[in-house]
Amino acid sequence: MDILVDMRNISKEFAGVKALDQISFQLRAGEVHVLLGENGAGKSTLMKILSGVYAPSAGTIQLGDKTYTHLTPKESAENKISIIYQELSLIEELSIMENLFVGKLPSRKRFGFSVVDYRFMEEKARALLKKVGLQREPSELVEHLSISEKQLVEIAKALAADAKIIIMDEPTSSLTMEETNNLFAIIRQLKAEGAGIVYISHKMKELKEIGDRITVLKDGKYVGTRNIQEVTTDELVTMMVGRELKDKYLGGHRVSSDSADVLLKVEHLTRADRKVRDVSFELYRGEILGFAGLMGSGRTELMTALFGADKIESGCIVLFGEEVKIDSPYQAIKLGIGLVTENRRETGFINTFEIWKNISMAKLIKESRLGGLWGLVSQQEEKRLAREKQAELLIKCASVEQNIVELSGGNQQKVIIGKWLLADARLLIFDEPTKGIDVGAKSEIYKIMRRLAESGKGVIMVSSELPELLAVCDRIIVFKDGGIKTILSSEEATEETIMLAATS
Amino acid sequence: MRNFHVMWSKYGTFGILILLVLVLGLLSPEYFLTANNLTQVMLQSAITILVGCGEFFTILIAGIDLSVGSMMALTGMVTAKLMLAGMPIALAILLGGVIVGALLGAINGFLVNKTGLHPFIVTLGTLSVYRGITLIISDARPVFGLPQEFKEGIAGWIWKIPIPVIIAIGIALLLTFVTDKTKMGRNIYALGGNSQAAWFSGINIQLHTLMVFVISGICSGIAGVVMTARLGAAEPLAGNGFETIAIASAIIGGTSFFGGKGKIFGVVMGGLIIGVISNGLNILNVPTYYQQIVMGSLIILAVFVDKLFSLKKFSMKG
Repeated sequence: MDILVDMRNISKEFAGVKALDQISFQLRAGEVHVLLGENGAGKSTLMKILSGVYAPSAGTIQLGDKTYTHLTPKESAENKISIIYQELSLIEELSIMENLFVGKLPSRKRFGFSVVDYRFMEEKARALLKKVGLQREPSELVEHLSISEKQLVEIAKALAADAKIIIMDEPTSSLTMEETNNLFAIIRQLKAEGAGIVYISHKMKELKEIGDRITVLKDGKYVGTRNIQEVTTDELVTMMVGRELKDKYLGGHRVSSDSADVLLKVEHLTRADRKVRDVSFELYRGEILGFAGLMGSGRTELMTALFGADKIESGCIVLFGEEVKIDSPYQAIKLGIGLVTENRRETGFINTFEIWKNISMAKLIKESRLGGLWGLVSQQEEKRLAREKQAELLIKCASVEQNIVELSGGNQQKVIIGKWLLADARLLIFDEPTKGIDVGAKSEIYKIMRRLAESGKGVIMVSSELPELLAVCDRIIVFKDGGIKTILSSEEATEETIMLAATS
Repeated sequence: MRNFHVMWSKYGTFGILILLVLVLGLLSPEYFLTANNLTQVMLQSAITILVGCGEFFTILIAGIDLSVGSMMALTGMVTAKLMLAGMPIALAILLGGVIVGALLGAINGFLVNKTGLHPFIVTLGTLSVYRGITLIISDARPVFGLPQEFKEGIAGWIWKIPIPVIIAIGIALLLTFVTDKTKMGRNIYALGGNSQAAWFSGINIQLHTLMVFVISGICSGIAGVVMTARLGAAEPLAGNGFETIAIASAIIGGTSFFGGKGKIFGVVMGGLIIGVISNGLNILNVPTYYQQIVMGSLIILAVFVDKLFSLKKFSMKG
């Protein structure tokens, strides 16, 4: 089989720190080569070297019959390499078709001038959108698309560039089951056409389904390459984290149904924008209550409403036996509610703040008056408390005075959890808490959630990863079209029953 | 590179100030480095620092306040009119300078909150509105005949130190306390760093935005009173174009135009740098027009340096 990419002994240093240490990586034509490793293992760095963002400190890259010591982005594109980043890189204000052809707009001559050939572009764009299964007009603006639709546009963009080597960095992290299946169909077609695909993901089930070979990296070092058919999930996890992943089944506890143990009772809750309608449920002491459903089914919207970030039109919320009105996050925090938001970077942390400032934010608000205006801060005390949370939650950092952007995704998430623990939240809502987080940190976050539930705090978890929900939660509520479709006990809940309820 | 960035953000502006003083001291030891001249520099910088400290907060939330110059003129005018109408000096300053300043700032903040427009547009509008009001209430004529006690009390000297310098230092210290020791200050930094995440951490965005513009209004009001006392009259066109100097002092002082980063100490340094440069250029007989070119170039350079470092920082993760 043709070898499309042959990276040999690649090393990369950042300011004296070895991010990659003698990594070799091969991509064959017609294969999906999975790249697996915890966050910070070096996957993204390796791929950025292939796409020309970084120059390696040592090693060679062979593409076809040409050998390079480093690639420029232009050389990378000329060799038909296309990368689809986890953080999407589309231009929001432009139309879908303009995004597809940005930098190489088709043109035609008009009165001697070269002008953009919109008709031709629209035709080609329509064909590409059809291929990736996106039902939108090519002329629609990207800013009007959902995250998963944008992901499909990114894929179409790679197709538009006629890419032969496509790197996908967690392409399914915001896709529904159906969209994922659709993506896999596209990938299979690309394979058949002789393209090579580098696939980065943490979702084991998915890797097994789509991958051919798998290379595992750990701490910037090469661990091994295997054929996917010949390796078990447990083996992969061991290669990745260097330890067996135990405690896989933390959930499935019997839930008390004693009314004295109701921590949160929601009755007929309807949002002002009607994205959530007539929702009623109870959360019991000691349980982790899961929320399943498709993207856009209203789970996140329910949580932001409970947290006061979005307006509630009607309904009743009883928190720890007391009826409460929540009309702002400020109020929610005062009442002891914490929300670990779906999107860390945008709504989770302040990227200009050090770890300790991020941890102390909610506590400062909770203990403030006049809407957060009144009150003093004590840096010494805040740093001390932050260090306590760092030790308690095993946050890996050199010091709490590091900026939060320097941490890996898993540790950033722990900082956010630490923020709510320090504010002594008694109801904690986790919305996709392990999105884009490596396996090791995931299991630590599950343990923290279980510990919180056992200590008498209310714990709610929203997740699109069914295996995770099934492993962690004691009951699962399935959401559909802004309302509760069904509530499943741990005995009733399986991937099949959940998907059936979520889709039918 | 990283270390340099840290060092730069901490001591960069201070270093530049020292460097400027040394260069000018060498070029003109007989004039520049005299106690008299250095006091003059501080006196000239006092108003810049006062307005710059208010401007700082609006830039900290990734906004801007273009109306500071007009607020200076209007507060100065109201204070003067109140004094001439027989109001006790202290009360006139409190009402005309501080309260009216706060009110004008509150109008800016209210409009930003309610219209959802960028502060650039809102304050560009009020820049004109406030100037218009000043011209109307003064009939476009300067107001003279202010009480001697007012001029001496605000623009005079205590021992060998000009009172405006003392006021500027006092306000800078007070605002340093606000930024470093109060929850409001911390929240404003958070708001500037990431307003969405700040909202999801319980910070009332509109309330803090309002306070930011109120602070800018009060600072402009105090600066307006000091300026009126120094001129000995309330000029309807006073403070015209002062937003450039205010923005420059904040930006040169290391306040990030992208929000969330900066220090009051930096603004003081920025104000002094501007003062030293214009004083130095005067001593070296460079015409005033050239000073404007220098000032404008410095703003662009300072923001460019900030942008350069921000980009470096974000491309570090891999």
